[in-house]
Amino acid sequence: MTLPRDAGSWARPLLAVAASVFTITACAGPADDSAVLADLQTPNRAEVVVTTSIWADVVRNLSCNALATVTLLIPPGGDPHAYEPSLAARAVLDSADLVVANGLGLEETLDDVLETVEAESTPVFRIGEHVDTLRNSPSEDHDNSPSGDHDNDDQDDARERVDPHVWFDPVRVSAALPALASALVAEAGLDPARVDTCLTAYQDQLEAAQADITETLSVIPQARRQLVTNHDAFGYFADRYGFEIIGSVIPSPSTLATTSAGQLEALAELIESEDVPAIFAEALYSTDDADALAGRVGNIEVITLYTGSLGDDSDHAGTYLELLKTNARLIAGALS
Amino acid sequence: MEFLTNPVDWWIQPFISNGFMRNALWAGLLTALTTSVVGTWVVLRGMSFLGDALAHGVLPGVAIAFLVGVDTTVGALVAALVMVGGINLIRAHSPLPEDTSIGVLFVGFLALVVVIMSSRSGSWIGDLNRFLFGSIIAIDNRDLIRQGVAALVSVFGVAMFYRAFLVMTFDETQARLLGLRPRLAHAVLLALISVAVVASLKAVGNLLVFAFLIAPPATGTLLVRRVPLIMATALGLGTVAVVIGLLVSFHYGAAAGASMALVAVVIFLAVLTARALSDLRAGRHQTALS
Repeated sequence: MTLPRDAGSWARPLLAVAASVFTITACAGPADDSAVLADLQTPNRAEVVVTTSIWADVVRNLSCNALATVTLLIPPGGDPHAYEPSLAARAVLDSADLVVANGLGLEETLDDVLETVEAESTPVFRIGEHVDTLRNSPSEDHDNSPSGDHDNDDQDDARERVDPHVWFDPVRVSAALPALASALVAEAGLDPARVDTCLTAYQDQLEAAQADITETLSVIPQARRQLVTNHDAFGYFADRYGFEIIGSVIPSPSTLATTSAGQLEALAELIESEDVPAIFAEALYSTDDADALAGRVGNIEVITLYTGSLGDDSDHAGTYLELLKTNARLIAGALS
Repeated sequence: MEFLTNPVDWWIQPFISNGFMRNALWAGLLTALTTSVVGTWVVLRGMSFLGDALAHGVLPGVAIAFLVGVDTTVGALVAALVMVGGINLIRAHSPLPEDTSIGVLFVGFLALVVVIMSSRSGSWIGDLNRFLFGSIIAIDNRDLIRQGVAALVSVFGVAMFYRAFLVMTFDETQARLLGLRPRLAHAVLLALISVAVVASLKAVGNLLVFAFLIAPPATGTLLVRRVPLIMATALGLGTVAVVIGLLVSFHYGAAAGASMALVAVVIFLAVLTARALSDLRAGRHQTALS
């Protein structure tokens, strides 16, 4: 089922919620319940709730895959921008020792809930707050942003434009991990010595992955380091590896925004004038817009990257490190 | 089947052991109270379309209030009142029927909010999302106070204008002859609908508040005939929808606002079916007798 392009932003979340209601009720069998209950009833085991599958993988690694029960809030394949929490989710959040979130406005529909939970019951660690953030969404420097967007730079605006997609830069993530490890020790009561060991081991793995990715991307000549993406999610990637984001199908750091015909046309012209060989779509979302853009430009590939959620092992995106490496390989393959 | 085999754990325990469930319950009950006393008139007077238009028409007010940093409840209320005023203005100054003036303003307001949203980007869209679907899982005392005030206003407003509403629902001319000032009463009713819609936004959300305004009172009219009884039935059924909806969301992880609205509509359909079946049986019975 396709939505008319101009149905407006409210139609997207409507469908997303309808879909999530169906999938969640469909999945909630007695088997799930008893598994959750068994976890809850294990005594003395720290309970950490993590919003996205990517951060859940990171938290599992820091807790040595054994020290804490890590519960994932937004199911794999779910859009962190559009997740609609239920009262069951609230119960899980309330009973946790620590909640780990990305923050910076990524979990748009959860913000309200996380603030309430933080005030009433459970400490919330927002990884984004421990990262050297990037502010402006890159595509706004280009012609395809509507005029009038630049003239209102008060503090609220600056805050809104902080790019939340920090996990695309493993160096920034690695720098934030000690703070996360401290929170796991202080709030969830994990064994400090063991967490420290696992932290160091994981930082080593991140460093190796970082070297690997730099190597993979080195085949792309400087002149071709230009990205056209689905939504403004690759700011940190571009910053780390020396890419320029010349435009996005949805020119917003949120997937809940929509594009307009004028913006798509401007982007198509930009792609033609810059001779960009690929549009990078996202596994979480429909590629309709990207396909339409590719059809309009002609002679351009649409490559699907892994963005807000882990894929499964068959995609080679089942872990955070795999996801980073797979994206790098796909980007290198398309641009070199 | 746990709600049958282990009723205390399924039905009662969630509310006892979770503060947020009690807050959600209070918010839901206040929503049911406000919408049932007001919604009964909406159903009886055939104003459903206006109710729907109002539920969506508050969005531009929310968006503008958010942009300029004013309390979004105030923005929503202003938008609702502007819409109501606009509908009356168009109706008074044109030969068009009322549903046309509602329809024109309905799409006008919806288009306005989409234009505002699409010309801006950033995370505030997520905040607007809260109003589309509500956020009953994060109700605090301030929300409850706001809903409590709205419930009081609705109940007192309906009690004060009860006679005027009643007479003009069935005979507007007679209402005028009796000196009940039907135009004032109509304006008051519109204002009360606006209050009910705006107060319930956080609990059930903008897209689903309409379900509470219409479904329980409509079910009530199927079951009883006197207006106070319809209101009481609507309140009872609304309460059932709230409790079951919250528990479904709690036990099965479905979105709370949608679960409550769905239960309210399912109750309506169940009552309608039961009534049709019993009419059928009564009809057959009569045929057999004659």
